[in-house]
Amino acid sequence: MMLRLPAARWIVLLAPPALVLVLWWFLSAASTSVFFPPLSKVLDALVRDLMNGVLPAAALFSLGNLFAGLVIATAVGIGFGLLIGETERLRLSLEPLIHFARSIPQVALVPLVVGAFGLGAGPKIATIALAAVWPILLNTIDGVRGVDPSIRRVSRAYRIPALLHFRRVVLPAAMPQIAAGIRVALPIGVTVMVVSELFAANQGLGYYILHSASKFMLPETWAGALLVGLIGYALALLFIVVERRALGWYFRSGAK
Amino acid sequence: MGGGAPVVSGLGKGLGIALQAGIAAVLLLLAWQLAHGIGAFPAAVPSPIDVGRAAGDLLGSSRFWTAVGQTLSVALIGWAIAAVIGVLLGMLIGTIPLLEHASSVLVEFGRSFPMVAILPIVILIMGANARMEIFLVALSCFWPVLVQTIYGVRRLDPAVVDTVQVFRIPTLLRVRRVLLPAAMPFISTGLRVASSIAILVAIGIEILTQTPGIGRQITLAQETAHWDVAFAYLFFAGLLGWAIAGGLSAAESRALRWNRRREG
Amino acid sequence: MTQDDEALLRVTGLTMTYGTGEKANRIIAGLDLAVRAGEFVSIVGPSGVGKTTLLRCLSGLLTPTAGEIRIVDELVTGPHPDIAVVFQDYSRSLMPWMTTLDNVAFPLQGRGVGRTERAAAAATYLEAVGLKGQGAKYPWEMSGGMQQRVAIARALAYQARILLMDEPFASVDAQTRFDLEDLVIDLHANLGVTILLVTHDIDEALYLADRVVVIAEKPATVVDVIETGFGAQRDQVATKADPRFSEARARILNRLRVQ
Repeated sequence: MMLRLPAARWIVLLAPPALVLVLWWFLSAASTSVFFPPLSKVLDALVRDLMNGVLPAAALFSLGNLFAGLVIATAVGIGFGLLIGETERLRLSLEPLIHFARSIPQVALVPLVVGAFGLGAGPKIATIALAAVWPILLNTIDGVRGVDPSIRRVSRAYRIPALLHFRRVVLPAAMPQIAAGIRVALPIGVTVMVVSELFAANQGLGYYILHSASKFMLPETWAGALLVGLIGYALALLFIVVERRALGWYFRSGAK
Repeated sequence: MGGGAPVVSGLGKGLGIALQAGIAAVLLLLAWQLAHGIGAFPAAVPSPIDVGRAAGDLLGSSRFWTAVGQTLSVALIGWAIAAVIGVLLGMLIGTIPLLEHASSVLVEFGRSFPMVAILPIVILIMGANARMEIFLVALSCFWPVLVQTIYGVRRLDPAVVDTVQVFRIPTLLRVRRVLLPAAMPFISTGLRVASSIAILVAIGIEILTQTPGIGRQITLAQETAHWDVAFAYLFFAGLLGWAIAGGLSAAESRALRWNRRREG
Repeated sequence: MTQDDEALLRVTGLTMTYGTGEKANRIIAGLDLAVRAGEFVSIVGPSGVGKTTLLRCLSGLLTPTAGEIRIVDELVTGPHPDIAVVFQDYSRSLMPWMTTLDNVAFPLQGRGVGRTERAAAAATYLEAVGLKGQGAKYPWEMSGGMQQRVAIARALAYQARILLMDEPFASVDAQTRFDLEDLVIDLHANLGVTILLVTHDIDEALYLADRVVVIAEKPATVVDVIETGFGAQRDQVATKADPRFSEARARILNRLRVQ
């Protein structure tokens, strides 16, 4: 069945989530369980805490840490990834270790880092970076290795200097893979961001959720979770848009 | 310049890599030991020797193996549930373009949703037990399996689609002998990613909620300031995830021998 | 163009238009064609004229905008049990996870034929295309020419009355092409199957067929029909040296050059 009309496509696209929301509204409105507050109450709590600045402050703290952590992870991941990807010997010896390191539960690192370095934004940023760096690193290595040998031969034949070669040949060629790595790192970062605020924290979205739960303020707990979900979704969409824009050449060339 | 893989086959290559990795690991451990020796780390960080000793002790303790068993069984059950539902649903959605389009928003939202955000709610509802753990593990594993299955089914070669149509292959046969094998490379990637997620989520939940398992042991070790034991548990957790991912990868290569040719 | 009452395949007024209104793109307009049972007809035309579109309509993969396709008076509305297709892209139409034997037997499996029976049948067809004993190999273990033979064997296994071939030898080298052409001639002579072969290669069209249908112009339509009259025995050297061959080739070339 072909949806030719753009309008029809939009309806099909947006109807199911709208339906889910409607269903949630009516099913929860009739609920007597304290654990499933009516959606109306959840939205009330959400709007209220957005308006009075509680949630925006929490979101700012959390997202600030997330952004900082991701920037560090990206810089380190790409930097080392380029180096390791280009040097076969380094790659062979380090890749198994990197795979091992990424298998260490990131959540477990949080209490350790907090226990060692204390509260505050710094350790949180560090933990986010530590968790998010692995997919970026590994994908950068893969991207560098995947550069077409014919293209490398061109650089050799024309004696392109190393720095220029990296900047204008290797890096752009590896970009699609690197972007995929960042896309994987995003939800990891968001998760660690929330977890880092479930331990020894006094601000942030994770703290908001935990705090509300401990006080049995269920609408607020749901509201916090909903907000985190929406933020995660928005970030994912944003990244897709940025990726399409930046990697236009890749998608237009017909790659899937 | 890099890019050319050494042409050494099978076991020889494996040993060569293991050796180089081993050397790199030893160098890193030495650096760690040195840094610890000069007090570069805060007091909480143990030396590699301490961790090694603790790890050895753990291997002999039944508490360790019980914890490993608990974590593994929860991860396995959750993963299996997600695998079955994810593949079936994924194949259904992938084959019907309308369904795929309609579900895209929900799927994208679901896969980017951090499960940890609903952890407090789920604990309140279900309590801190294995059932809750399995539920969250299954929920976390479901998305990569679903997404990869949909992707794999959609990537069916047009030439294969034409062939199946022209020879009027009935639906059940088509699903069993064309759709499923064709999507297998992607499905198995999804299953492999999900297996890593299963372990990580299980341990994560155990740390956050103190349900029995490796995660709980890590927290106990921290609370009693047995940092070497905590690090040792971390090491084994990493080893577990790494071994499972590696094992699945090897099995995948063996079973999907035909796929390597296809990409040619 | 033969309006023969005994036509096995009859195409009348086939029209294929993409889009509507001003952006309408008419690929094929009012194409008529009739093929008798046991005939070998080749359809030749320049690249891009719409041969593949025509073939997709004939194989039931595409519904024409107008016109009819009938097999002995039965209207073709979708893939038909009496039409088997050999695709141009043979390597991607074979299932890489199945052995050659399983690939060839697949249409029979689709028909519900039992395991032993279809394995035996598949082996027979593999032998008919010169691949005896190769059943256990996988498609990717074979050369392009061998893969195309497997695809031909598979089409034969479908046991249809008409074999449609879409530029089947376009992607193989010249030497392999000659071997495959002779194979198809042998199959036609021995099995008596009706063959409709689409190609852009004029020599191939003339060499293989009893009748050559020339398709040209935009929108595509039949512009010429030539009875080759070379008989059942063909030879790569002798037939192509025949003066009638050059005449026919010149005639077709001129007709196509008039574009």
